Amino acid sequence: MRRPPRLHWLSILLGLLVLMGVMTFHAHTATRPEPVRHAGERRDLPEGTVALAFHGGPDPKWTPRVLDVLREADIRATFFVVGAQVTRNPELTRRIAAEGHQIGIDGFRAEGDHTGPLNLAFAQAALADALGVHVPLVGAPAEVDSGDRDFQDMGTLVRMSLRDRGGVVRLHDDGSIGADIARELARTPGYRFVTVTDDRPVPAGARERFTGAVTAWSQRNGGVVLLVFGTAIAIAALLGILRTLLQLGLAHTDRRLRRESEVEPPPWFAPPVSVVVPAYNEALNIAATVRSIAANDHLADVEVVVVDDGSTDGTADRARELDLPGVTVVRQSNQGKPAALNAGVREAKHDLLVLVDGDTIFEPGTIGQLVQPFADSGVGAVSGNAKVGNRRGLLGRWQHLEYCAGSNLDRQILHALRCIPTVPGAVGAFRRSALTDVGGVSDHTLAEDTDLTMAVTRAGWRVAYRPQARAWTEAPETVRGLFRQRYRWSYGTFQSMWKHRGALVEKGPMGRFGLLYLLAFHLLLPLLAPVMDLFVLYGFLIADAPLALLVWTVFLLIQTASAGYALRLDGEPLRPLWAYPLQQFVYRQLMYAVVIQSLVTALHGTQLRWMSVRRTGRLADAPGGTVHVT
Amino acid sequence: MQVFVDGNGGRRVAARLISLTVASGLIVFAAVVGGTLLGAW
Repeated sequence: MRRPPRLHWLSILLGLLVLMGVMTFHAHTATRPEPVRHAGERRDLPEGTVALAFHGGPDPKWTPRVLDVLREADIRATFFVVGAQVTRNPELTRRIAAEGHQIGIDGFRAEGDHTGPLNLAFAQAALADALGVHVPLVGAPAEVDSGDRDFQDMGTLVRMSLRDRGGVVRLHDDGSIGADIARELARTPGYRFVTVTDDRPVPAGARERFTGAVTAWSQRNGGVVLLVFGTAIAIAALLGILRTLLQLGLAHTDRRLRRESEVEPPPWFAPPVSVVVPAYNEALNIAATVRSIAANDHLADVEVVVVDDGSTDGTADRARELDLPGVTVVRQSNQGKPAALNAGVREAKHDLLVLVDGDTIFEPGTIGQLVQPFADSGVGAVSGNAKVGNRRGLLGRWQHLEYCAGSNLDRQILHALRCIPTVPGAVGAFRRSALTDVGGVSDHTLAEDTDLTMAVTRAGWRVAYRPQARAWTEAPETVRGLFRQRYRWSYGTFQSMWKHRGALVEKGPMGRFGLLYLLAFHLLLPLLAPVMDLFVLYGFLIADAPLALLVWTVFLLIQTASAGYALRLDGEPLRPLWAYPLQQFVYRQLMYAVVIQSLVTALHGTQLRWMSVRRTGRLADAPGGTVHVT
Repeated sequence: MQVFVDGNGGRRVAARLISLTVASGLIVFAAVVGGTLLGAW
């Protein structure tokens, strides 16, 4: 046993932060604030000396014209550039510098967008990327406005530019007639042209150049990242909608067919049954479990075989103390659940075997209901309906909702498709010949129930679902316990899927539907769904908050309605539904984390051991109220 | 032997190395870019 991998969480967290940063920066560059002129300090130039200061560029259409005019007139000017434009037009920026003009910073997205230090840093980063320099000249000094934004008449413009007989003249190279004004000014006799200051750019440091490359990449490719996110969200949304439709459609059809069959029910089937209870450190629950099984109203013999798999808490003694007729207790050294199940099956004398966990409570009619599908000789296994027996806390309610809206509804769909992948360890029954066909319970995975069910299906047996066969199980009461349980389930399911991947090329329903269903809804959807959460968060914080809220609310309503329908199908009250929206904030993310952790563990090849969940013995919502026996 | 379990440990070592490289790379990346921008702030 090695420690499960953890370092990937840091990478995922940082990776998501980087992606969020890229998208946020891209959105930041896409907005253009109103230009704001900041009157800088006056730059005194001798009379007859003019510094031409161009603003708003570089612009791919207008700046080259300005540069051509300045070259013809052999004039060096100053270009106060906009950082985002520099990244859009790096070649042009390099031409400005190469032709000897001075470069200053006007802002990051528009003139004046440099008062925030971060925007100034972005603008410097853009220049570091395009030119490899750090520019000391930030913001223009007090200028003589040429009026190129307001007037067209060249005579007026020249007069306005030279009204102080020198100084820094404000022009634009982003769509005005700045080039024409510059040409006229150059022709005016008696003027000498200089740059705004003598400051020259200094080489940028490696860190600033790297940062510039990153911000430039983000500005250019943020849209691609956004598109990838959008595609992932679209796939996740489609899968979510498809699952809801499948759930509602197939579950409804399945129920209708059942009701029709109930009009003329087949004769009641009452074969003798052996119940195998593997138990490891289940002292708190075992007595209640065995009592509930022994209190069955099945019309034939029911023997109970409790297999204590090397417990250290006196589980076997608790079971023996009950002294119930038909109950056998077998002890073995700790060999794991599959070995305990196989030992119990060997010990059992009947051909129909109910396998039940040591923390499960049966109703009196559970066994009778569970064996009904075996009247069909093609049925090799039957899944019962596992219910959460401790629903008092929020975590219990959430799990109850998930059992109904997730697992049981899934099982109804998969029953309709004839490819139930898991007969749960909490309540399931197998035909002995089906178990013999697949060589018993294997220890190749941590989800021996899924592995066994897939093997039985591939061996040609049908697997049925009997929702009336209810069993009450203790759900973990802590987040840590829940994580451990689901980690094992999820990892075990992936192990089983991989082990039975050959089914994909076989003719049976497991490969055609079962594995693909698990792949789509138990692997792909949980991996993509966090992107949706992240995008909603991004929408709230950065983009269009009302739209994000609307999309999120619509999805939540659809899911809540689906969960409500599942509760109704299962004959459960709708009251716990209030906890469903809260599930979106902690529980759902925990489930994603489980899938990611399982996948990474599989890639690492780490050997996981069985992670036991701490039992409390409280199953207050099971029939008969509190069954806590200590 | 359980499914996915790496018997000789080679895959586990390679996966840990990749994981370590990715995490270190991201830390350095975040430190350089974040440090430069926040430094300006």
